[in-house]
Amino acid sequence: MNAYAIQTTDLVKAYGARLALDKFSLAVPTGCILGLVGPNGAGKTTWMMTVAGFLRPKAGKIDLLGDGPFDADVHAGRLSILPQDSELPLAGRPLELLVHFGRLQGLRKQEAIQSARKLLETLHLGDRLSSPIRTLSHGMRKRVMLAQCFIGYPEVVLLDEPLSGLDPREAAHARAFIAARKAKQTIVISSHDLHDIEQVCTHVAYIEKGRVVRFGALRELTRKDSLLRFFLTGAPTDFDALRQACPGGEFRYDETHRVLACSFDGNAQPPEEINAKLLPALLAQTGLLAIERGDSLEKAYLRDRF
Amino acid sequence: MNFFTKIWRVAAYEWFDAIRSRRAIVILLLYLVTAVLGMNGSISMLEKIETQLVETLQLPESEHTGVVSTVIWKSKPFQRMVKNLTRDNLVLQDITGKHPVELIYAWFAFLCAPILVVLVAAPRIPEELGSGAVRYQIFRTSRAAWSLGKYTGMALMVACAIGIGTLGAYGVAAFRLWMGGDSPNFFLALLQWGFRAWIYSLAFLGLVMGLSHLTHSPNKATVFGILALVACSILRVLAGIRRYIGSVSDVWSYAELLVPSAYKGELWRSSISALVTGSASLVALGLCYLLLGYAFFRRRDV
Repeated sequence: MNAYAIQTTDLVKAYGARLALDKFSLAVPTGCILGLVGPNGAGKTTWMMTVAGFLRPKAGKIDLLGDGPFDADVHAGRLSILPQDSELPLAGRPLELLVHFGRLQGLRKQEAIQSARKLLETLHLGDRLSSPIRTLSHGMRKRVMLAQCFIGYPEVVLLDEPLSGLDPREAAHARAFIAARKAKQTIVISSHDLHDIEQVCTHVAYIEKGRVVRFGALRELTRKDSLLRFFLTGAPTDFDALRQACPGGEFRYDETHRVLACSFDGNAQPPEEINAKLLPALLAQTGLLAIERGDSLEKAYLRDRF
Repeated sequence: MNFFTKIWRVAAYEWFDAIRSRRAIVILLLYLVTAVLGMNGSISMLEKIETQLVETLQLPESEHTGVVSTVIWKSKPFQRMVKNLTRDNLVLQDITGKHPVELIYAWFAFLCAPILVVLVAAPRIPEELGSGAVRYQIFRTSRAAWSLGKYTGMALMVACAIGIGTLGAYGVAAFRLWMGGDSPNFFLALLQWGFRAWIYSLAFLGLVMGLSHLTHSPNKATVFGILALVACSILRVLAGIRRYIGSVSDVWSYAELLVPSAYKGELWRSSISALVTGSASLVALGLCYLLLGYAFFRRRDV
């Protein structure tokens, strides 16, 4: 198995004079769920479409599953994509469409029917298997689009805004559906909803102006192993006592939100140990409402703006 | 899965998807109505002509429409006249003696096939390009298999339309002419002309679908198709005029070869070799046009 499911090096794609991808280099580890985060027009969708072979790059190198750039003869059935702003055929029916897609990928008829039915039922579309797409709501169509990505168990799945337009219950269900595939398939998600990314992804890449400006494990970017945040009832009175409990730790108190942040070297001491040492000293000074590990992705992203 | 299986999968779904669309149903019905009304009108017209002929020439009255015409076909002066009109001795030889209604249907089928192709097939590819639906397929199969599958699916769709039109026309003819024992032969004859018209339509199908790779708009694709038909007709007429006045340059001769109707004469023939040559030329021409469109689509962003 390749260490990287997708490797793109110095990818360039231009729309007229505007560069959508400007030497975009990214290696996606096999089995990870990667979230692409960035402002509108940063190049997330263009990168996905280029990897899937919809767009032709001007320059650069793509290696998909170790077999070069996308080639339908080599990669059909091994890669799938939920493209943004792409309608399913309106006269089609969910089950029939998914069976057709499965058959195109080389599945046997029975296999395709079983797989399509199971996927649609999992995504709560069991009662709309034979309804024309044009009669489905936006959210239902989105779930059919999501289901078509997973038919035949492709090795790489690219999802462009997979949860937009879903109601909160279905969005939570779809998040769980995607997260359950962790380590089994390589999934790349592009989304503006950082909460979704945080819930589902193992890795995150920040994209700005057609380039990857930061890439890493989610835990690393959000400092899950090197930051503790204590939600207090009042300000701590003795910082020296805290420093004594946690030597090498850096303390910052946000008075507005009454949050004490403690940064430390996570490699030297795990957060559980730091917490155990720090807690008695803190409780002696003030009340404690909650403790959180690291930042939210949103906070980390906004902090790291490039 | 091999390349041809992929083409077949795309084609089967394309045909299935097209045949249930409202647009296709309306066009099928229109074609059927046109075939039925055309056949009915032509039989009425033939009846009138024959009645006048019987009265003018004081011939014995015939029991069925078409009998007098069939007899007239056999007269040498009439044949000479038709030869001057068709300017093709071989075609004349082959159609001599055929039932006039059969020939009228053949003329109708050849005339309507290109129009049918434009109406049915022109919007199919741009619809998918415009809505982005193509993106759900071209990572599962190659663009070549997709294009050829679409073409094959539409060829099946056109075959359905022509088949239904033929059935309708036969129904009217059988009802109006009361052919008795000749009825199955007449049906087979109509079916054969329908099949020839379908072969003829394949070249236009390639032309229209090749052009439809160039746009995202179904309406533009229909306009492109209509313009292509007009251009073909103009080219053919110009080539005909220049041939008639006896100054055909090489350019015109070659240009005429690019027009599907240049091969239509072969499809009017009875000889197998002429039919096979004409059919092969039309299919090849259609595929060439399709491949030109595909060559553009292959490199384009979708």
